[in-house]
Amino acid sequence: MPGTERAPTYFLARQRSLVTPLILLCVLLVISAWHGPHLFTSDGLAGAVIGAAPLVLATLGITVIAVAGPAGVDLSVGPVMTFINIVIVLGLPLVGVSSPVLVFVAAIIVGVLLQVAMGTLIACLRVSTVVVTLAVYLVLDGLNTVILPEPGGTAPDWLASWGAASSILSPILYVPVAAFVLWTLITASTFFRNIRLMGANDRTAFVSGVALIPTRIGAHVIAGIFVGIASVMYSGLIGSADPTAGASYTLSAVTALVIGGASLAGGRAKGLGSVIGAIDIWLISYVLSTFNFGLNASYWVEFATGAVLVAALFAGGILSGLSPRAWRHQGGLAGPTP
Amino acid sequence: MAGAVLIALIAFGATSIGGFWSLLNLRSNLVFASFLGIATIGQTLCALIGGLDLAIPFVLGAANIGLVRLMNGGVSPGLGIVIVVGLGGLIGAFNGALSNRLQGQSLVVTLGVGNAVLGLVQILVSKGGVSGISGGTIEGKIPRWIERFSTFNHSFGIAPAVLLWVALIVVTIVVLRMTWFGRSLYALGGNQAAAARVLVSSWWSWTVVFAVSGATAALTGVLLLGYTGSGYAGVGDPYLFTTIAAVLIGGTSLVGGRGGYGLSVLGVLILTVLQTILSGYNLSQAAQEAILGFLIIPTVALYARSPHPRMQI
Repeated sequence: MPGTERAPTYFLARQRSLVTPLILLCVLLVISAWHGPHLFTSDGLAGAVIGAAPLVLATLGITVIAVAGPAGVDLSVGPVMTFINIVIVLGLPLVGVSSPVLVFVAAIIVGVLLQVAMGTLIACLRVSTVVVTLAVYLVLDGLNTVILPEPGGTAPDWLASWGAASSILSPILYVPVAAFVLWTLITASTFFRNIRLMGANDRTAFVSGVALIPTRIGAHVIAGIFVGIASVMYSGLIGSADPTAGASYTLSAVTALVIGGASLAGGRAKGLGSVIGAIDIWLISYVLSTFNFGLNASYWVEFATGAVLVAALFAGGILSGLSPRAWRHQGGLAGPTP
Repeated sequence: MAGAVLIALIAFGATSIGGFWSLLNLRSNLVFASFLGIATIGQTLCALIGGLDLAIPFVLGAANIGLVRLMNGGVSPGLGIVIVVGLGGLIGAFNGALSNRLQGQSLVVTLGVGNAVLGLVQILVSKGGVSGISGGTIEGKIPRWIERFSTFNHSFGIAPAVLLWVALIVVTIVVLRMTWFGRSLYALGGNQAAAARVLVSSWWSWTVVFAVSGATAALTGVLLLGYTGSGYAGVGDPYLFTTIAAVLIGGTSLVGGRGGYGLSVLGVLILTVLQTILSGYNLSQAAQEAILGFLIIPTVALYARSPHPRMQI
C-alpha cells in the first residue's frame, strides 16, 4: 500500500506502476530496431505518431473513468470514437463546418455530451460503469451501422493531410503534446484529487464533503474532452468515415490502460503510464506487421494483444503487492462491501 | 417482473406479427433460445459471485473452428467434442483462478485470455490444415448426428439441443438451490468477508464457476457448428453482449449474491421473443443491437442499483 511507505522511498514506490509498461516499451523498441528499422526514419516516426495518437488520447480519456472507479472500465470508447468520426466526416459538412478550430470544438462537444449522459446515469442511478458503458457500446455500435452502412466520405483536406504524415513537426505531434500538457494541468487540480478520493473510497469521499454526483460527472467531462480529441486524430488517420473499424479501440484502449498500471479498483492511475501503455499497444501491432504472417497477421495481433494484457495483469498484480486478502476487504466489482 | 415482461411481449408478438404462433417459428425460436440459454449458464454463475465472463464469445468461436479442425484431422467427433469442451473448461478455470488472485478483475482477465485463445486457435487451425481457414471460416465434413442435434426438422418433434437445455436448466437450478456449493456462491456474492468466515473458499469457487462458464461456452460452440454446418471464428460475437443482457434483463444483479438461473432463462426467452418481433418489423441486426442497448439501462436501474454511500457507513 503506497500510503504506508516511508518518505524517502515514497516517490519511487509511486512510480512502481510504470515499471511494466517501460520494460515492455524497451523490449518492443529493441525488436523494432532489429526487425523494422523503418520506424526510426523521419517518415516512420511521423507514421508512428499519427498511428498511435488516437489510441494514446483515447486511453487518457478512459484513464479518468478508471480513476473515478470502482471498476471504472469504459467499454464505450470505441463506438463513441466511431460516432464522432461519422459526425466529423459526414455530419459537420452538412452544416458547413470544416475549419480546424470548429471541428475540434464540435468533436469535443459531442464527446463531452455523450460522456456526461453516461456519467449522469452512473452517478444518479448508481448503476455500475461497466453496465452503462456496455449499453452505450451496443446503442452506438448499432446506430453507427444504421447511419452509415458502408465506409464512405472524406475528411476535410487539412485533416486528411494529417493521415499522410509527411512531417513529424506538424499538428500530428503538437495536438497530442498539447493534450498531455492539458492532462498534467487537470491532474494537478483539487478537483482531480476529489475524483481520486472518490475512486479510492466513495464513503470516505462522501464523509469528507466531496459532492459525489458533480465529481463523477466532472470526471466524465474530462474523459469526453480527450475522447473528442482522439476522434479528430482518428478521423485524420483513416481519412474517411467507417462504421465498424473503431469498435476495436475499446479492447486496445482497455489493454493500454491496464498495461499502463491503472488500478481498476479505482483511485490510482497514471497518465504517463497510460500513454506508454498505448504506445506499447501500437508498437506490438507495428512489430507484428514487420513479420511476414500473410493472412494470419490479424490472428497474431489478436493473440499478442490478449497475451500481453494477461502478462501485464500478472506483472501488475505482483508489483502492486495487493494480496487477495486485501481485495476481500475492498470488495470486487461491487466496490466496497459494507 | 421479468415474467410479466415476457407475457406482455408474447401477447404483443402474437397480435402484431403474422405466423408468430406457427410451429416452425416456435421451434426455431426455441433452438435459438437453447443456444443462448446454455451460454448464459456460465454468465449467470459468474454474475452471482460478482464477476463477468467476457471470454464466452471467444471460447465459443475457438471451440467452433477447433472442432472442425480436429475432425478434419481424423479425430472422432465424440472425442473431439470432449476435447474442446474440456479445453473450454480449462481456459475458464484459468480465467477464474487468475481473476480471483487479481482482485476480481475478471473483466480484463477474460477479455485478454479470450483474445489470446481465439487468436492462437486461429493460428493453429490455419497451419497445415486439411482445408485451410479463410476469413475466419473453415469448411469440413460435419457428421449428420451433430447437425441433427441442433436442427428442428427431426423425428423428436423438437431439436435435441432444446431437450439438452431443459436438462441443464434443471441441473443448474438444483445445484444452485440445493447444494452446499450453490448456496456458497450466493454467500460469496453477498459478502466476501462473511463468506470467508464460514469457510467458503473464494479462489476455489471462482475457479469452478469460470470453468463451468468456459465449458458451457465451448458446448454452445459445438451446438452452433451443428446448426450452421461450417466453422466460423466470429460465430460467438453476438454472445458477448446477449449473455450479459439475458442475465441483467432476467434480474440477476452483476454485483453478486442476488438472482438465479431461472431468472436468466426468462431473460433468454425475453430476448428471443424480442428478436423475433424486431425481425418481424424488418429491423436490421444493427438496429436490433441498438434497441437492446437502450433496454439494458432501465432494467438495471430497476434491479441492480447500489446503495447510496450514506447508507453504507
